[in-house]
Amino acid sequence: MSTPSDDVLLDIHRRMVRIRTFETEAGRMAEAGKIPGALHLYVGEEAVAAGVMVHLSNEDWITSTHRGHGHLIAKGGEFDRMFAELFGRATGYCRGKGGSMHISNMDLGMLGANGIVGAGPPIAVGAAFSTKYRNTDRVAVTFFGDGASNEGSFHEAANMAALYKLPVVFVCENNGYGEYTPQAKHQAIVDVADRASGYGMPGVVVDGMDAMAVYEAADAAIERARAGDGPTLLECKTYRFFDHVGVRGMGLTYRTDEELAEWQKRDPIHMFEARLAELDVLSKDSAQAIHEEVLAEVRAGIEFAEASPTPDPDTLLDDVYA
Amino acid sequence: MPSRGAVGFVANPASGKDIRRVTARASVFDNQEKSAMVRRCLIGLRAMSDAPIRYLADANRLVESALEELGFDADAVDVETNGSAADTTQAAAALRGAGAVVTLGGDGTNRAFAKGWLDAPLIPLSTGTNNAFPVMREATTAGAAAGLLVSRGIPLEAVAERAKVIHVDIDREAADIALIDAVLTADRFIGARALDDPGKLIAAMLTRADPAGVGMTSIGGFTRPLAARADAALIIDFDASSPHRVVAALAPGRFESIGLARTRTAELGEPLHLTGPGVLALDGERERVLGPGQAATLRTLRDGPWVVDVRSVLTRVGCGGR
Repeated sequence: MSTPSDDVLLDIHRRMVRIRTFETEAGRMAEAGKIPGALHLYVGEEAVAAGVMVHLSNEDWITSTHRGHGHLIAKGGEFDRMFAELFGRATGYCRGKGGSMHISNMDLGMLGANGIVGAGPPIAVGAAFSTKYRNTDRVAVTFFGDGASNEGSFHEAANMAALYKLPVVFVCENNGYGEYTPQAKHQAIVDVADRASGYGMPGVVVDGMDAMAVYEAADAAIERARAGDGPTLLECKTYRFFDHVGVRGMGLTYRTDEELAEWQKRDPIHMFEARLAELDVLSKDSAQAIHEEVLAEVRAGIEFAEASPTPDPDTLLDDVYA
Repeated sequence: MPSRGAVGFVANPASGKDIRRVTARASVFDNQEKSAMVRRCLIGLRAMSDAPIRYLADANRLVESALEELGFDADAVDVETNGSAADTTQAAAALRGAGAVVTLGGDGTNRAFAKGWLDAPLIPLSTGTNNAFPVMREATTAGAAAGLLVSRGIPLEAVAERAKVIHVDIDREAADIALIDAVLTADRFIGARALDDPGKLIAAMLTRADPAGVGMTSIGGFTRPLAARADAALIIDFDASSPHRVVAALAPGRFESIGLARTRTAELGEPLHLTGPGVLALDGERERVLGPGQAATLRTLRDGPWVVDVRSVLTRVGCGGR
């Protein structure tokens, strides 16, 4: 495993802050009724996207989920084009026709968020197959949840990836719930990583609230994929601080306030900032300045989106059919 | 025959799943096999004893599901669990007074248990990674031995060895323990926990040094072997640039050339003073951060768990059944 420089540590931190700030403000906009459709926010899970994506370049691919903003931001997504997409404006990543759950951008290697649970893994495996076919060293990382690991698409993708030793990393963001269903009520196992051995690949469990735990495990798994040694299933135990949809969501009682409070004690950004301060890598004042700088950038993105035009009705069928 | 105490069960669902599945070639130990081991162990126990059963109710229901299937009555210990190592430590404290406790896990699991009950009568079964403390043993007869031990009034001293423990006192913080080794490394984070970079090793205290083992014990074992029974500890000072090197099994399937400054044996109780910055790895896992100038003092004493030798129990009793 590589030892991260201070610059890498600060990069991971900034990626997490960018996700948190974007999502918090997007949630505010959604609750105020300014964003159409459902938003599935990534607050609480930032360490996973940041700890993985810091190892990837734009040449590497990812597939995302319905909770996909964090992945795109960590992969280098720009706030203005993201907010424009969320607002349904023509300046958005998908010209305002994709919305929150379908943002894609080939320049960043983002093969798409996806409203269909479990749809990402086969797409990533296809991308990884092209790597092998073309003899390049690009890696594909597919993010999915504990619920998605019950879908046939995941199992077919895992089988093919292991069979052909494809350069894929399966990153399971296990936040304990498939939408509103606790994991114990939708699968008979606790560690999704246990499924790896059934396909002939290693499975690893890490603390998904600890950016450095994710960083180290992702480093090893991505290096293994790039070296041609095949796929890995990396399970990150994490938690979403907001509801399945929006911030407060529908106020359902599928989880308790006490459980949420316990996980919030291990806020990935707070824990990382505390350690960076101990290491004299990032002072509290400097961290605060980064939060404020990112917030200003987020607000500029919202202004850009609100000032952008909606798609011309004449383009309704453009970019929809391949 | 009435038993002189309960038999406790603690199975760690998290053992055998860390990053060494990717950075080395460590085995994948899924929870189905752990639960199957619990079943076999319970059957062995009931074949020989009516001793009451007490257990830790883990999130994976490793013990509970086995009990349900077999229709055995048992009591879960009254502890609040959160899926961390603290569950095992709390369970150990709650199990005090049991005649024997079967643990399923690795060195880390048994260390967590000993933190809650230092001189417990243990039958540690290996399901972890670099296991020096627990043994690979068939659970069926291990369960039988647990039953016989509590039902036949066998003196513990006749069939068990008292383990050594490294007591770790840390300035301004809670003390800690290790059963096999305590190592200061130049790491900056706990991260994915497993020791990975031999170039970061600074100094270590070992309770045993076994060339047939894996991990720190292998380094010591190829340099200056030390038996678990020997009333001494081994101290190693590392130097990555030293021409004095030893090739040792740092992890399963992974040998490394390790630079050594010096090795020496220490008497029981003799202190080893270490100073931060760095990270203390206890029984193979990065556990505690030491700040700059923060001191830790390590001492090995023989005041740990009574490790029951299954063969000794069974041989002593013979095959006469109940």
